Amino acid sequence: MSVLLEVEDLTKRFGGVTAVDGCSFTVDEGTVTALIGPNGSGKTTVFNLVTGCLPADSGAVRFSGREVTGMSPGRLYQRGLSRTFQQARVFPELTVLENLVVAGGWSFAGLFRQRVSRADRVRAAELLDEFRLDRVGDLLAAELSWGQRKLLEFAALLMSDPRLVLLDEPTAGVNPILIETMEAHIRARHAAGTTFLVVEHDMQFVMRLCDPVIVFDRGCPIASGTPEHVQSDPRVLDAYLGE
Amino acid sequence: MTRGGLSRAGVLAVVLAVLPLALPQHWVVSMLVFTVMYAALASSWNLIGGFAGYPSLGHAAFFGFGAYTVALIFPNTHNLSNGLLPFAILPGIAVVAGLIGLPIGAIAMRTRADVFAIVTITLLFVAQTLALNLRSLTGGAQGAGVAVPPFDVANFERPFYYAMAVLLLVAMGAGWYSQRSKIGLSLAAVRADEDKARGIGVHVTGVKLLAFSVSVGITAMIGGVWAYYVDFVYPQFAFDPLITIGMVLMAFLGGRGTLWGPVIGAVVLVPAQQYLAYELGGSQLYLIAYALVFLLIMRFLPRGILPTLTHLRRRRRLIAAADPAPRTAAAELGLAHDGQGGARV
Repeated sequence: MSVLLEVEDLTKRFGGVTAVDGCSFTVDEGTVTALIGPNGSGKTTVFNLVTGCLPADSGAVRFSGREVTGMSPGRLYQRGLSRTFQQARVFPELTVLENLVVAGGWSFAGLFRQRVSRADRVRAAELLDEFRLDRVGDLLAAELSWGQRKLLEFAALLMSDPRLVLLDEPTAGVNPILIETMEAHIRARHAAGTTFLVVEHDMQFVMRLCDPVIVFDRGCPIASGTPEHVQSDPRVLDAYLGE
Repeated sequence: MTRGGLSRAGVLAVVLAVLPLALPQHWVVSMLVFTVMYAALASSWNLIGGFAGYPSLGHAAFFGFGAYTVALIFPNTHNLSNGLLPFAILPGIAVVAGLIGLPIGAIAMRTRADVFAIVTITLLFVAQTLALNLRSLTGGAQGAGVAVPPFDVANFERPFYYAMAVLLLVAMGAGWYSQRSKIGLSLAAVRADEDKARGIGVHVTGVKLLAFSVSVGITAMIGGVWAYYVDFVYPQFAFDPLITIGMVLMAFLGGRGTLWGPVIGAVVLVPAQQYLAYELGGSQLYLIAYALVFLLIMRFLPRGILPTLTHLRRRRRLIAAADPAPRTAAAELGLAHDGQGGARV
């Protein structure tokens, strides 16, 4: 198994707070890797650093063997590294279909083509079917439920055929049935060859879906391994339950 | 183009062509010139202020740039053998203004929303101050005269009117094209959530600069026609905050981010303003009355005339469609409490 994402000695400070502190880990191609840890342990900041949303103070990020530290989120997206947000971010004034089309990773020249071409429709229709959004394709994203928006955000970034998808709390604020739906979609995509890095607080979800699991505390990994392994690691229990 | 869009464009072109022939009185045509001018200004402002969500208050700087360019190339000492010559240089003005707009837009659009509005209004006052102080070039506060147009007195306004009408069609054409292409899709994404748009590979900077550049280019051409029409440019009128505010208000009123909203806004506001100025002209009361018109519309149609109407129509349709999928969406909007799917708008 080859290394798809390599994070090396990454550090980020916000004033006096060191959110991410000399953090190193790797994500192997073809895995669903989980990133867990108590609130404030730096998981989302790591996401922001890896995807170029925030500049790192020091350290390096390599994606499929290439140094991508400091690269803009848009270029990373076009190279196959994309993410979702804790609070699903879709474009409320665009239709569901348009939300997919706009995420197609267009070149500048591509902007001058038709807003939603027939080819776009065909391409988007597959994803709409896959995510059962086909019946709401012409609704505005503002008219979707919260859970549907999370599905839409996930579906939209698949327009770029990403190699690695970072999911920031995919089950936060959605109902149990939709959690299962979300899990099924991740599994299906994983089976099709996409690698995932998931930040999640729902431990049952993580233990069912993810392997390996990386545990974060105070800005760096303290343990990693199979779900069973980290669950029995005393450092992990300590980080979660405290002294 | 859809059939509806094509026929609407055709109707507009015919109406614009026929209006001054049907209503040939000088004062009417003069008012038409200003109505169409503001419709064109609001439509070109809409490219960046509406579709991209960057509320520029600095567009009058480019309006003034176009006005002064015409005044300096065709000063009043110039004897115009061909009255159409100043119109011929307008595309050149647009290109130069568009190019000047690139670095300005690149810097100004590092800020957003209200900060962007303040940064751009600063641009307007910088331009005005330059026009006041570069006396050797602009004539300073004394203004600059423009060559007298050698047009027939009986139909003096017509060439200016038609020039403005063409520019309105250009501005609306640019808006229409952007909405039909992925430019409009990208701009809508920028307007809603710029960082997210950047994160999914949208060419945020490129598309913003394109919209800004085209927008100010058209604005400058309108300024050029205006200068030739009024025949004399002063810094305080060519770089007038009221021009900026006028185009912004009209776009807001009619519905920014829509193709026809700015036109509707201009058609309502310009004649209203002229009428109120005529009725209450002696005092400055007309400005208060003008503000009142605006307050009333913002109170009752806060999203602008066109989007409010579109929203109402969409609600009707959603509720009328008894199909369960849109129903859940309608229910979430809090529209379908009765469970009967009856229209209650």
